[in-house]
Amino acid sequence: MLEFIIPNNIVCHAVEAMLFASVACAVLSVIITQVQISSIGFTMAHAAFAGAAVGMFLSLNPTVCSIVAGVAVAFLIGPLSDRARLSPDTSLGLLFGICMAVAIFFIAYMQTLGQGFSAMGLLFGDVISLYREEIYLLAVICIVAIAFIVVLYKEITAIIFDKRIAESVGIRVKPVYYAMLFVIALTVALCLPIIGGLLLYVWLVTPAAIALQFCNRLSAMFVVAPTVAAVISISGALAGLEYSLPVAPLTAVLFSVVFIAAVLLSPRRRVTFRKV
Amino acid sequence: MTPPDPVIRLENVYTAYEGADRPTLTGISLSIGRGEFVVIGGPNGAGKTTLLETINGMLPITHGKATVCGQDVRGDGVQVRCRVGYLLQNFAFDPLTPFTVEEVVLMGRYGTIGLFRKPRTEDYEEAKKALHLLGIEDLATRPIGQLSGGQQQKVLMAQNLARNPEVLLLDEPFSNLDMFAREEINRLLARLVGNGITVLIVSHAFDDLPDRPVRVVVMQEGKIVVSRECPPKEVEQVVRSAGKGASHA
Repeated sequence: MLEFIIPNNIVCHAVEAMLFASVACAVLSVIITQVQISSIGFTMAHAAFAGAAVGMFLSLNPTVCSIVAGVAVAFLIGPLSDRARLSPDTSLGLLFGICMAVAIFFIAYMQTLGQGFSAMGLLFGDVISLYREEIYLLAVICIVAIAFIVVLYKEITAIIFDKRIAESVGIRVKPVYYAMLFVIALTVALCLPIIGGLLLYVWLVTPAAIALQFCNRLSAMFVVAPTVAAVISISGALAGLEYSLPVAPLTAVLFSVVFIAAVLLSPRRRVTFRKV
Repeated sequence: MTPPDPVIRLENVYTAYEGADRPTLTGISLSIGRGEFVVIGGPNGAGKTTLLETINGMLPITHGKATVCGQDVRGDGVQVRCRVGYLLQNFAFDPLTPFTVEEVVLMGRYGTIGLFRKPRTEDYEEAKKALHLLGIEDLATRPIGQLSGGQQQKVLMAQNLARNPEVLLLDEPFSNLDMFAREEINRLLARLVGNGITVLIVSHAFDDLPDRPVRVVVMQEGKIVVSRECPPKEVEQVVRSAGKGASHA
């Protein structure tokens, strides 16, 4: 898609993949941080990771397996909390532990069978060995994530403001909330091969955390977060490939550096300090 | 006494929280007419908030019949909530909450606008009107998290008024308000009741009630123990004596 700007095919694919993945994750990061469901996002990322590892081991499509695992976890949290009389936080802790155990078991086992290389891609991401279809799929999920927010903007903003107030004004909170989880699970599963299960969380939280330092309005956050994420991710991809550095970890480090700079430069924080 | 055209009608209603072993409200029967001013009193944990959330369909009714504004609450609580305002108890917004006052007030109309639709000009106008009613137009562009508790309370009140409710449920509406704001809200409530809006208030503060007959509903352990009309000055006495009667029983 961007070959007219970047003639090198490998670099072009890497940039495209990082662009679509970062924009999709960043718009959803605003929802994740503002609805305060970072633990759910974190657990879903690891469930997708476990699903992909199991899929690889069983020679099934890892993307499909990670989608199934991510969605399953999203829908299991509520019933598990109710049935086992656990707080949602404890349920998430349990599911996270189970997912990590499953993922690590299968990755370690595949290493003993000599399939370690492809499994390691799930951990740290791999932007080089992507098929064109995978990039198209990422473009589609990017459009889906943006369309989801545009179409359900008022419902999403009300839920972000306060779930109970949203319910009291007549919004059908549960279906919208589960749709949110479904889109997050789908995005997480499709971005997993590029970013990696261990780093995906950076993409799901940091862009919104950076945007929050400068934005007073939610609508502005939905623009600033993906813009910042796209710039950082493209820079990370280009720098990583130019200097033969691991792309996803380098980009994750860049995100962290920008976040620290944003906190230091934030006009909103300065106002708070002055108040105190 | 049953009003001729009740806007709220509960018949032997039982309500239970999700996952609870037993119902929180048991055998509630209540009929409230259009334009009535109802004060709900009783000790903590008596089921006052549960009663409000049962009326607007936020809690599941496990037994009995409930009709609000002609809608069956058990059938579709969302439709009921589009016509009923509900000011929740206890809230605090983070100073960094990325919402301005006008956005929060407009949210009050989201349920009536409907899924997949954008706010229309009339929705913005109703939100403006609600801001004007509460006298907080000057706060419209301020982030809600940077306002005082009393100002936030007024913003949420405006949010509820923005959808022109037929019934207004208020849970401890005076808790964050100073004396002057309390008087102001009471005057507004008296005006709303005069316009035919039914107001139900859960409160522990019974002074400064609007100067008009008030229905007092006293709750104890998930049941209604008193429901009668009285002058506003006698409300506190009715609530106290019902409490004493229950503790002696």
